[in-house]
Parts: sequence; C-alpha cells; structure tokens
Amino acid sequence: METEELLINMGPVHPSTHGVLRFKLRMDGEIIKECTVVMGYLHRGTEKLAEMKTYLQFIPYTDRLDYISAMPNNYAYVKAVEELAGIEVPLRAEYIRVLTVELNRIVNHLVFMGSLLLDLGASTAIMYGFREREKALQLYEMLCGARMTFSYFRIGGVRDDLPDDFMSKLNEFIKDMEKRIEDYKGLINGNEIFMMRMKGIGVISAEEAINYGMTGPSLRGSGVNYDIRKIEPYSIYPDLDFKACVRPECDSYARYMVRIDEMEESLHILRQIADTIPKSEVVATQKYGIAPLTGMPYTAQTYFPRIFIPPAGEAYSRIEAPKGELGFYVVSDGTTKPYRVKIRSPSFCNLTAIPKMVVGLKIPDLIAAFGTIDVVLGDVDR
Amino acid sequence: MNAAEELKQALPASVVSTGMQVEKPLVLVKKEDLLEVAAKVKEMGFDHLSVVTGVDYVDRFEVIYNFFSYGKKENLVLKVVLDHEAPEVGSLTSLWKGADWLERETYDLVGVRFTGHPNLTRILLPEGWKGHPLRKDYDMSVEQFVTIGEDGEDIVSTDGSNLLRRK
Amino acid sequence: MMIANAYELIVYILTTIGVYEPINNIFMSFGLDDILKIIIMLVEIAILFAFVLVTIMFLTWMERKVVAMVQSRYGPMVTGPRGLLQPVMDGVKLIGKEDIIPEKADRWIFTLAPFIVFVPALLVFIPLPFGESLIISDLRVGLLYIIAISAISPVAILLAGWASNNKYSLLGAMRAVAQDISYTIPLALAAIAVVLFTSSLSTVDIVNAQAGTWFGIIPKWFIFIQPLGFILFLIASIAEMGRIPFDFQESEQELVAGFFTEYSGMKFAMFFLAEYAHLFAVSGIIVTLFLGGWNGPVIPFIPVQITSLVYFLIKTYAVIFFAMWLRDTVPRVRIDQLLNLGWKIMIPLALLNLLITGFVVTAGVIQ
Repeated sequence: METEELLINMGPVHPSTHGVLRFKLRMDGEIIKECTVVMGYLHRGTEKLAEMKTYLQFIPYTDRLDYISAMPNNYAYVKAVEELAGIEVPLRAEYIRVLTVELNRIVNHLVFMGSLLLDLGASTAIMYGFREREKALQLYEMLCGARMTFSYFRIGGVRDDLPDDFMSKLNEFIKDMEKRIEDYKGLINGNEIFMMRMKGIGVISAEEAINYGMTGPSLRGSGVNYDIRKIEPYSIYPDLDFKACVRPECDSYARYMVRIDEMEESLHILRQIADTIPKSEVVATQKYGIAPLTGMPYTAQTYFPRIFIPPAGEAYSRIEAPKGELGFYVVSDGTTKPYRVKIRSPSFCNLTAIPKMVVGLKIPDLIAAFGTIDVVLGDVDR
Repeated sequence: MNAAEELKQALPASVVSTGMQVEKPLVLVKKEDLLEVAAKVKEMGFDHLSVVTGVDYVDRFEVIYNFFSYGKKENLVLKVVLDHEAPEVGSLTSLWKGADWLERETYDLVGVRFTGHPNLTRILLPEGWKGHPLRKDYDMSVEQFVTIGEDGEDIVSTDGSNLLRRK
Repeated sequence: MMIANAYELIVYILTTIGVYEPINNIFMSFGLDDILKIIIMLVEIAILFAFVLVTIMFLTWMERKVVAMVQSRYGPMVTGPRGLLQPVMDGVKLIGKEDIIPEKADRWIFTLAPFIVFVPALLVFIPLPFGESLIISDLRVGLLYIIAISAISPVAILLAGWASNNKYSLLGAMRAVAQDISYTIPLALAAIAVVLFTSSLSTVDIVNAQAGTWFGIIPKWFIFIQPLGFILFLIASIAEMGRIPFDFQESEQELVAGFFTEYSGMKFAMFFLAEYAHLFAVSGIIVTLFLGGWNGPVIPFIPVQITSLVYFLIKTYAVIFFAMWLRDTVPRVRIDQLLNLGWKIMIPLALLNLLITGFVVTAGVIQ
C-alpha cells in the first residue's frame, strides 16, 4: 500500500501549546516520526534589556519571564547579585522570601494541574485550580499590590514588611488548601481515563533526563533525587523540615504526581514559616555600593541604595523554581549596570527533551507529555 | 583538593589556570582542548550541564560552562576565551544533549560558532536576522521586520517590504 | 378509540372541537382530500421541528449551566432571566458572522456538508415516540431506521473534513469515521438484544413491552433485564455522539476543532446544532429502549398524551444531564484506546449479552 508522510504544523497559535510555541511534526498516520520545536515568538530580548538597566531596574523584567510564578524569578536574580556583591540578607527577609516563593510554587502547580487536565479534555480542573490560585493571588496583592508581576524582591531584602493581617490570611489559606489538595487527589489521581492517558507516556530514563539537562519536578519524576533546596541549600531551607518528592516511574504520571506531592510539601513549609518567622529588618542596611554623586561609599542609612555598584566579577546562582533549576549568570564590570545577564530558564532546558520523548507516540500523547513538562513560553523565549 | 585542581593535574597541558568563581571552582581551558577537557569533566562525574553563557568582552569572547555533579554534589565552571574576529569552539552536544539548545542560543544571541554541532541554526530569533543582539556592537537602531511566509518559514527584512501583501 | 400517531391525534382533536368535518368537506368538494392530509402532515412536522429546535437551543443553555454548576461558577446570567436568551444571542452572533470559504477548499462539498449533517439529525426524530400517540410515524422498522439514519453523519463529516483541505480537519474526520464505525456495531448489537424480547423493531411496540411492573414495584423497564446491554448502549451512544470522553472528532486540544476547524458563521452553527439534536435524539432512544419510554404512573383527569410526554422528557433530560455531567468530570481517552475499547471489549461483550439474551428468551424465563 502506498503511504505518505504527513507534515503537521502545531502552533504557534494552538490551544494546547500554552502560548506561542510551534511544533513541526512529521507524522506517519497518527504516529509522530519526528518532532521539531520552533520557538522565539515571545522573545523580548530580556538579556539585552538587562544590559541597559541598573541592577535594581532589572527586577521588574524578571517578572515577565515565568509569569505564572514570578517570585522565584525575582529571587534567582536578586540572589545572583547578592552573591556577586556578598550581601547579607536579614533573617526576616529570608523568611518572607521563602514564604512567597513556596506560595508561588503552589500557585504554579495549581495552574499546571489545571492546564494539564484541560489539555486532556477535562475542563473542570482549571476552574478549581484558579479558584484556589485566586486566594493566593489576593495574599500577594496584600503584600505588594500586584497579582502576577510582583517585583517584590529587592537586592538585600524585600520591598516591604508583611502587612498586619497577612499571617492570619495565610493561615486561612493553608487550612483551606489542605482540604482542597485532598479533593484534587480524590478527583484526579485515581481517574481511570487519566491514568490511561498518563501512565507509560513520555517516558524518559534518569540518565537521559540528566543528559538532556532536565531539572526540577520533571527530573524528579524520573527518579533522580535532585532538589537544589536540599542539595545546595540556600536561604533558610536548611532549617526547614521538608522532603524532595521523587517518583521512580519516569513517565508523565510520575511528573504529575511529583507536583501534587510538592504542593503538600510547600504547604508544610508555609506552616513552619508561619510559626517561626522572626522579627527583624526586611532589607539589608549595611554600607553597600557607592554614592554616584560623591563617589564615596554610602554611610549610615536605613534603606538599600537605589544606585548600587557591585564589585567587578561574575556569579552564577541557581534556585529551585517551581519548574526546575532557575539560574542567573551575572557579570559585573564595576558600573551601575550589569555587563551581561544570562538566564538559565528551566522551561527552555526541560523542553529540550520533548523531541526525544514523543517519537513514536501520537499527537494526544505529545500534548500530555508536553503538559507535564510544564513550560511557560515567557520563560522559554525570554 | 577541589575539582579544578584535580582537572589541572589530569590534563596539565589543556588547563590554562584555575581559580574560584564565588565558591565554585573555575578552570580556564584552552579552546582547542575543550572537548577533551569536557570528556574528562564528564568522566569525573559532572553529569549536569547547567548553563552555557557567552559573553562579549569587545576584545574577546568568553564562553562559560557551569557543571554540577549529582553524585558528588559539586560545582565546576569551565571557561574558554575566543578571538573576537572568529569566535569558534567545539560543541559539547556529543557529551551532553542538553548542550544542543544552549549552544544554539549562544550562537543565536552572541554569535559564537560551535563546530561539530549537528544543527547550528538560530533558535530564538528567526533565520535571516541580521546581527547577534548580545554583542556589544549590535546596532539597535536598525528595525527588523519578521513575517511568516507561505511555507511557514520566517522572512526578515530591514525595510518592511515583506509586510506588504503581494499578489 | 386507539390513536396510533400524531396525525390521528390532530385529526382527533380537530374532530373533537368540530372543525375537521367542515374543512374535510370543503376539500372533498374539490376532490382534494389528499391535500388536506399533506397539510396536516406538514403541520405536525413543523410542530416537531420547532419543538426540536427549541429543545436544542435550550440544551446549549443547559450545557453551559451544568458546566458552570460543576465548576462552581454561574454561567450565562446577563441575557434574559438567568441567561435563558443566551442561545438566541449566540444564534444572532453566528448569523452575523462572515461566511468564510477557504480558498483551497472544495466549494460545493464544503457548503453541502453541514446540511448533510443537519438533516439526518432531524430525521432521526420521525419514529421516536415522545409520548402515547405522540409519534410522527410508527415505522415497523423504526429501530433499524434510526440506526441507518445515524450512519449518514460520518459520511457528511468525512466530506466536511475532506473539503476543508486542512490537515486537522482531515484527521478529525478520519477519527470520527473510525469511531462511528467501531461504535455502531456494539450499539446495534445492544439494541438487538432488546428486540429479542419484543420481537418487533417498532419503537412503539418496544415502549409498550415495558409497560407495567413486576411485583407491583419494579417497573418493567429493559434496563433491569438488560443491565449490560444498557451500559454498552450508553457508552456506545456517547461515543457515537462524540462527547467527552470520546470527542475525537473535535478534540480541541489536539486538532484545534477537528473537522469543522475551517467552518464559521451559520455553517458552524449547523454542526453545532446537529450535535445537540443528536444528543437529544440519542437520549430519547436510550429512554425508549431501556428506560420504559413514556411509561409512568397514570394520573387521573389528565390526558395520557400529556403525562406520557412529561415522563418521556423527564427521563430524556436525566440522560442528557448524565452526558453533560460526564463531560465535565472526565478527561478524554486516546483514539487508539477508544478503538481498542470498542473492538476488543465492547463488541465481545455485546455478543455475549446477545447470546445470553437469546437463551433467556428461548427458555422463556422472563415474560
């Protein structure tokens, strides 16, 4: 029988590419022979923009990378600059940072869960996910006035202290969320059709996952116990009691389950922070940087300088963002602006493995596997 | 003894110098021997290539590789210095498949050529884009217009002629 | 006097109020008594189609409301009381849209396909008994007719997918056809098991066979003696309707919109309406075959035509609600999993069910 290969173009505008991503698929009937990823439709030149802004001015741009979870972006950048300049952050600021980042992890995984189920054709999960996300976003709104693009972190601390009633609202959220996670587990995890669609799909072995540079929950779904919060502990994570969630199955279902488990761990972290958060300043007030007018180092002050000059040098700092390892490589030449900022985005690096994962599968499996990689196009294209 | 010194002992001819980059061992490598050193690095257990960064220092290019070892939980930074006129260095895709896109991105935005890369094309910018934006001499005053052609390929122009629909 | 179908019902009503005789005499005097028959038939068909179209519009509203209920939202609230006029607004919007025919599409087939989908979706209602004597025509091969008419729609879907000259449309159409062929077989086999009891393909006979109760409590519905058949028929008909979890012909997240990706405006509306007409028809057939049709407790002083219609609609809406509820609860299966389910599980089970039913009927255990 004469057969013909079919070339299918998915995207850049397609319901389940989570933005503007394009797959070029060479198909044999419904089977994918080859998958080529085309991206860059959302490229905004963030790294170039960084070279034109001062260190402080660049923080809002980091929000626009992974806009589902912007706090970790803030954090990764700020942490890189702090490492470069050797800045000590007050303890309370560290607690607030971890609090916001872990809250954002829950938000991210809720959106992940919803959009994954939506990709599989179940429209209800995203509504439930967004219902809970809304409560978290209201907490963020109290904190910094913004719901998605926070710009809450500052070099040397955070912008402002927690509002008065924040902690009580947070405790409400935690209590509510505990019940909701149980609901989701009951509704989704054991669903026969869901398991049929996820189990054994998009398999990538631990060695391959490492070789492809996958990180975060996608890697932990392949059985590699690698969580930067545990292995290279930063901030207050050494003091916190939590565990890295690992599943050995290497398939889409494992990647999904890791994220659901992570939500519980993050809730656990939030609970500990709510109990133990200390009182102190929230921004570093030591003498960092040089006053531009006088050329002299700053003297006594109560805030972190707006114009800030770190020593010349370079630093690479990574954090465990909800989607994986988020790194900023910052090069300083001793001026007010960074010489070069390189963003190692987890979405971009995890996406590398997709063409490998989906060969021999069908289009619906591509969507399931792609959904469990959890990418945000702002993060891929930068 | 940290990983950098270990590497220097193993391959003294290829390593130019060692140092530290904020608590991470740093090795400056001769660009001709990068592949050899990288193979050794992988053998030493650095299985995670975290990031590939290209920096334009006007008189030279530097390409920086950040590695991490899942087994030993250690970091290692490799650095090569390239000529500004013809920045070329061997590709690590044969060792780390994750290097594929990272190197393409570096090629795309910084303009470093990776010899031996299976598919060294632009990744974020459309094919046909003029210049490499993260170079310091990139001319930002030139506007470039991108449209998608009939066959789905990108068409780039600097005068906007591709924006007009033609019969 | 036994009223067999809607035609006789109209004649009976007209006779009761005393206008049939004079009108008939007028027509008789011109020798045109056939014309009167045709007029009455046209009237009843108009009533049926108006009823079906209003039901379809109501169903689109109901679907949104059910989804909203499940997802803890309100759904449409602005147009009309509780958003009841939303379908009208949708219709106005769709009519107002530009009717785009892609340049490379096959113009004629592209235009024809929506009609070929829509017409059979309405024709299915002809042998469907909405209530005692509320039936257009009690065909002796009613069930066969329904299954045969339903089998036209995959042809039209294939035409639509082919004529669009779009890969997504073609893939969606191919899927739809594969799915329809795989599921028509268990559907028909499950229905035949019911026919073994009634020895008749007539829908009215099937409903009449389900009248009465066992032990005075359990209604004599076929669901109780054909539970496996009912489940098979339900799954197969949901697959045939192409609703989640089996909505491959559209599968929005994979194929954009499947076979109607390229359709817009009123042509799109035709597919959309046909889908809901199909939902209503299939639910009605499930009720007829397994849930006792129009049967229900008799209420004195109210004409049986009205109570039976109410019983029928209550049962049908229960089935429709189930289909909508299912849609909001489960994800979509994969096309190969669906075909495996159809060929490897459903058809053997349907055959087994048929075999057991054959033994039971031959042995005369239940009657």
